[in-house]
Amino acid sequence: MKILIVDDSSTMRRIIINTLSRIGYSDVVEGENGKSGLEKLGQGGVEMIITDWNMPEMDGLEFVKTVRGQNPAIPILMVTTNAAKEDIVEALQAGVNNYVVKPFTPETLKEKIESLLG
Amino acid sequence: MDQSEIDALLAGGGKSPKKPKAAVKAPAAESAPAPSAPAQAVAAEPHKDGSGHVISELDTVTAVTERESNKVMDQLDQIGRLVARQQQLVTDMMTHEGAQTAGAQKAIHEVMSASKEIQDKVFEAMDLMQFQDITRQKLERIVYHLRQIHDYIVDLLGTGLKSDAERPSISHTIAQTGTTPDENKAHADAVIEAFKSQKKG
Repeated sequence: MKILIVDDSSTMRRIIINTLSRIGYSDVVEGENGKSGLEKLGQGGVEMIITDWNMPEMDGLEFVKTVRGQNPAIPILMVTTNAAKEDIVEALQAGVNNYVVKPFTPETLKEKIESLLG
Repeated sequence: MDQSEIDALLAGGGKSPKKPKAAVKAPAAESAPAPSAPAQAVAAEPHKDGSGHVISELDTVTAVTERESNKVMDQLDQIGRLVARQQQLVTDMMTHEGAQTAGAQKAIHEVMSASKEIQDKVFEAMDLMQFQDITRQKLERIVYHLRQIHDYIVDLLGTGLKSDAERPSISHTIAQTGTTPDENKAHADAVIEAFKSQKKG
């Protein structure tokens, strides 16, 4: 399964990639913001998206809305520092399937990914 | 700040180096991944009115911490690979004739168990590096407030230039930004559940 990780922090992308590899997902592509995420998505083969919210150029919310306009079915997990209730609701309304607040444990990421794929 | 930046600062008689700080390569930066947007942003020219100096300095802090965090991640990756290699060597050793005694097997299992513990600790340390991204986002929020104060003073005095730098998407507040892994999980899960129930109903 190919997973697209969109986050402007290279450290955070590495942490997510490490966690994914530990739970058996090693086929990943990376984007630094929503814009590059869309480019990677356009190259095909992506079956799941993990995206940050706060990013330059195109933020995660705009990215999710754009993706949902093209692909209503692809599972999207938002991983962000935004913890306010209204932020979580806004992301869910935009089309994310699940939501993880940073910092997270690998167990949480695993649980959320499995619930999306299950 | 690395040595080349300190040297440039000293050469400039205490003035900031003219070379953008993000463009100064650390000796080990070649193996590190390309800097992300905040790191690249540091290369931008300071604001013409000088107001961007503090903001630019804060951007430098986030860029440097990201670069250094990646170096720590590189080291942790290396430790992980070495431990995996060690585990492979010990596994091979288990099949040797001389290692079939009860004492040798017990010692080998203890080594394997210790290796697994090291591997787990390496992964834990990697996960803890999330603090870098969280600190960066908190600093971005502070930069946002600084810009607002600066623009307010410009309005009040009727002179000077407003900050014209790009305002990236930032967290709405840092008050709820957690520092302990999963401290907001229960809250987020409850909001998700409520949203889903409302949608069904």
